[in-house]
Amino acid sequence: MKQRFDNQRAYLLHTYPYSETSLIADVFSREHGRIPMLAKGARRPRSALRGVLIGFQPLELGWFGGGDVKTLAKAEWVGGVPLLRGRCLLLGYYLNELLIRLLPREDAHAILFDAYEEALATLAAGTADAPELRRFEKALLREIGYGLTLDKDVRGQAIRPEAHYLFYPERGPIEATADESAPTLAGKTLLDLAADDYRDPRTLAESKGLMRQLMAHHLNGQTLQSRRVFIELQEF
Amino acid sequence: MALPGSLDALIEALRCLPGVGPKSAQRMAYHLLQHDPRGAERLSAALSTALDRLCHCSRCNNFAESEVCERCASPKRDAALLCVVEMPADLNIMEQTHAYNGLYYVLMGRLSPLDGIGPRELAFDRLLARAGDGVVREVILATNFTNEGEATAHYLSEMLHARGIKVSRIARGVPVGGELEYVDAATVAQALIERRDYS
Repeated sequence: MKQRFDNQRAYLLHTYPYSETSLIADVFSREHGRIPMLAKGARRPRSALRGVLIGFQPLELGWFGGGDVKTLAKAEWVGGVPLLRGRCLLLGYYLNELLIRLLPREDAHAILFDAYEEALATLAAGTADAPELRRFEKALLREIGYGLTLDKDVRGQAIRPEAHYLFYPERGPIEATADESAPTLAGKTLLDLAADDYRDPRTLAESKGLMRQLMAHHLNGQTLQSRRVFIELQEF
Repeated sequence: MALPGSLDALIEALRCLPGVGPKSAQRMAYHLLQHDPRGAERLSAALSTALDRLCHCSRCNNFAESEVCERCASPKRDAALLCVVEMPADLNIMEQTHAYNGLYYVLMGRLSPLDGIGPRELAFDRLLARAGDGVVREVILATNFTNEGEATAHYLSEMLHARGIKVSRIARGVPVGGELEYVDAATVAQALIERRDYS
C-alpha cells in the first residue's frame, strides 16, 4: 500500500551512500519507528538536503512509498538542540548503534523515542551522562520486550539491599552464594537502578557493568563498533 | 548464451567503480570495445601506471610519485603550519584559496564509529608523529563540519594538546557574500552560538 506521511518528527541514525548521488538514511521516527529511506540526490553539491540531514538533530520528515525502503520527500531541520561535541558525540553514536542493531524496522516506539530525545538533550548540555545512558538502555530493553525485573529475584522474593546477586539475562536476579566466583551485584544496585537513582558511585559502576553484559547478550556476540572506537580513542 | 570470458571479466571489473551497476558496466564495456578502442588502451595504460607509480607521501599522506611529494619538499612552504584535511579534494580546495602557504596532512577519511572507522584505521599515530617533528608550530584542523568531521577534530585536538602542540580549527558560519535570509537555519544557529567579539 502506497502511503504518504508529512511533518513526522524523526532523527537520522546513520546514512549509507547509494548510487552516484543518493543516500539511504536510517531514520528513527516517533510515530513509525525505524525506517530506511532513500534520499535522492542528497549527495549532490547543491542538494537542499545537505545541511539538513544531520545526526542528533531534531528533524521533520515527509516520505512516501510502499516497499521496505521509503522515499524521502521532504526534510526540515527543527533545531533547538546544540550539536553534540567531543566525547558526548561518541556516546551519541553508541545510542544510534544500539537502535540500529536492536530495534526492528517499522515498529513504533514513541516512549523510546522520547527517551532518546531526552538522552540527546543531556548529552548536548554536556552534563553527567552516565545516568542518562542507563535510563536509555533500560527503556530500550523494555521496548524490545526484555524489560528488567529489578525489585524481585527469579523466585519472586524481594531484593535485599545488603545481599549479593547474579543477574541472568531474560530471567532476572538470583541471590549469590557466599563462595560465588563470578562478579556479583549488590542488592542496593538493583534497587537504585529500578528507581533511577545513580548518586552512589558503586551503583553507577555496577549498573554500567550489568548493562554491558545485557547488551552483549542481546547483540548475540556482535561487537559494538562505536564502543570499540571509543575505547581505542581513550588509548591514544 | 554466455559472454566470452574476457568480456565478462571486463564488465565485472568495471562494477568496482562507485555508482556502476551491471547495466552501466555492460554499456561501458561495449562502448570501449566498439567505439573507442584507443581510449580503452589509454585507460588501461593509465590505470596500470598509476597503480605502479603512486604511493602515499611519507609526510602528507597524499598520493605522490616519490617518497616525499613536491609540495612537502618545497622550501617556499611554511613548515611550521600543518593543515589536517579529510580527503585530497579538501586539500585541493584549500590550495585554491591562495590563502594558505603551510603544509598538509591528508587523513584519507574521518572517524566514523558506526562504520567501524577509528583511530587505528586512520593511522592517527602517523599524523601525531608528523605533527610532533619539532618544526610544526601550529596544527590547523580543517576536517568537515559534519558530526564525523567534528569528532575527528575533537579527538585530534586532545591528542595534539597532550603533546604540547598548538591547535586551531577553521571557522564556520555564514558564507562570504551570504545573506542571512537565504542561509539554512542550522548554519545561522551555529553562527550565533559561535559568535565572537567584534571591534
